[in-house]
Amino acid sequence: MKKRSDDSPEGVSRRHFLKGAGAAAAVVTVAKIPSVTEASQEVSDDPVIVGPGSISIRLKINGEIREVEAPPSTTLLDLLREHHAMTGTKRVCDRGSCGACTVLLDGRTIDSCSMLAIDAVGREVTTVEGIGTPENLTDLQKAFVEKDALQCGFCTPGMVVSCTALLNQNPTPDRDQIRQGIAGNICRCGTYQNIIEAVEHASRKGGK
Amino acid sequence: MKPFKVALPGSIEQASSLQQSFDVPFIAGGTDLLARIKEYITTPEMVVDLKRIGGLGEITSTDHGVRIGALVTMNDVATNLQVREGFPALAETIGNAATPQIRNMATIGGNICQKPRCWYLRHEGYTCAKNGGSGCWAREGENEFHAIFGNQVCAMTQPSNVAPVLVAYGASIEIQSNAESLEKREVPADQFFLTPEQDPTREVALKPGEIVTAVLLPAKNRTEKWSYTEAREKQSFDWAQASVTVLYQRGGRRGDHRVVLGAVSPAPLRRADLEQIIAAGDLDADCIQALQKKIGEGANPLSQNGYKVPMLRGLMAKAIRKLNGEKKEG
Repeated sequence: MKKRSDDSPEGVSRRHFLKGAGAAAAVVTVAKIPSVTEASQEVSDDPVIVGPGSISIRLKINGEIREVEAPPSTTLLDLLREHHAMTGTKRVCDRGSCGACTVLLDGRTIDSCSMLAIDAVGREVTTVEGIGTPENLTDLQKAFVEKDALQCGFCTPGMVVSCTALLNQNPTPDRDQIRQGIAGNICRCGTYQNIIEAVEHASRKGGK
Repeated sequence: MKPFKVALPGSIEQASSLQQSFDVPFIAGGTDLLARIKEYITTPEMVVDLKRIGGLGEITSTDHGVRIGALVTMNDVATNLQVREGFPALAETIGNAATPQIRNMATIGGNICQKPRCWYLRHEGYTCAKNGGSGCWAREGENEFHAIFGNQVCAMTQPSNVAPVLVAYGASIEIQSNAESLEKREVPADQFFLTPEQDPTREVALKPGEIVTAVLLPAKNRTEKWSYTEAREKQSFDWAQASVTVLYQRGGRRGDHRVVLGAVSPAPLRRADLEQIIAAGDLDADCIQALQKKIGEGANPLSQNGYKVPMLRGLMAKAIRKLNGEKKEG
């Protein structure tokens, strides 16, 4: 059986190999290709048809304009993970039922697996990478650590994004409102109680 | 997922022409279509993205009522003041559907056009009366969540939780296309959702090239009391096993009351016989008993879904208690 490890004997990690492969593919398609930008939102006589090959997709992610070549059938999740190497957003069910891929679109939570990246053009995408940093955690992230609100940690980025949106909209949610706020995020370890406590803790501190 | 082209029309006419020329699906919120493409249930060469068409994203008040543009997200419908005040059962239903994330993406137009959740239809290995084959696998197979009424041709249930509520309120669906013969038309919700007897291959009354452009809620709304009750296995990201919508209209015994059952038949099931029971007396224990006795009439449960009959009886009782303002769950 093949070992599926990030540290292969050749010293090429799986993640870096994928990254490299992606870059090689992009070089092939960098030729003159249509770009999906705000401009194509305007009504023209002929409808724009893009794909199935790569096009240039320019998005505002965590406040920064980032452009990359990708097929227009790429979901926002795959664009983030595989084209921008932003792997904080997790792919689990890929069907919009688990919430591990939650990001903010104009401040609202969405499942990034269930929308096309080109539909995020002209809008603000915020991923977990745009919410605090390891050196400078948000109050909510600190509360996750303090209240032991994670076990395996795979649902955590999605939970943090959903809870951040909740506290932005409602700084003092009650327990029912917190449950509603994370109703679209599944934790297979069952750490919900600690997550609720973390949100309450962050809420008391007035942070997010 | 098989890569596909994306058409980005700027008008309804363009979108309609593209869909007809290439026989490809529309995409709005994408939450249903992308899942079906990932499962290889449908493998379109192209999708026609409706997101860039103007005029479909607003909720407006007109003399005829409230017009909800087809691209308005479910969350924006659920939190809209006009909807909450005028059509609270709709706000309640839509505000509890799916998950917060899905409600921020999925549109009202897409919600009423979503494909059935039948696991045979959503398995690439099966064909049936709905997709080019014949018969219904669920009738003799796994049918726990399937229809108990009107299930002879196809045992699908209408997956939209909102559908029965729209029928109850007498809403209409505004439809447009580019063809001169079709133009703009308004279809009452109770005619928009089709039964398999009408056409097993379509769940809604859209012809090729036609696009849902709005949901229209009537200005004439005489609802005095309302209730929407639903049973599902999970509180989140699940579809109803059965639902009961009751609108009690002003005028008491002369009122035009509405009772619509959801998730127990291929299309929302309006029940005039139950409406008459509500009009005939007070909303008391006798009324509940009479409704419970009647509600299973005409049901033809399959091997695994007989539980939906007593479930409906329970929901019916709960619905009347809710109308009376009783908080106790029944």
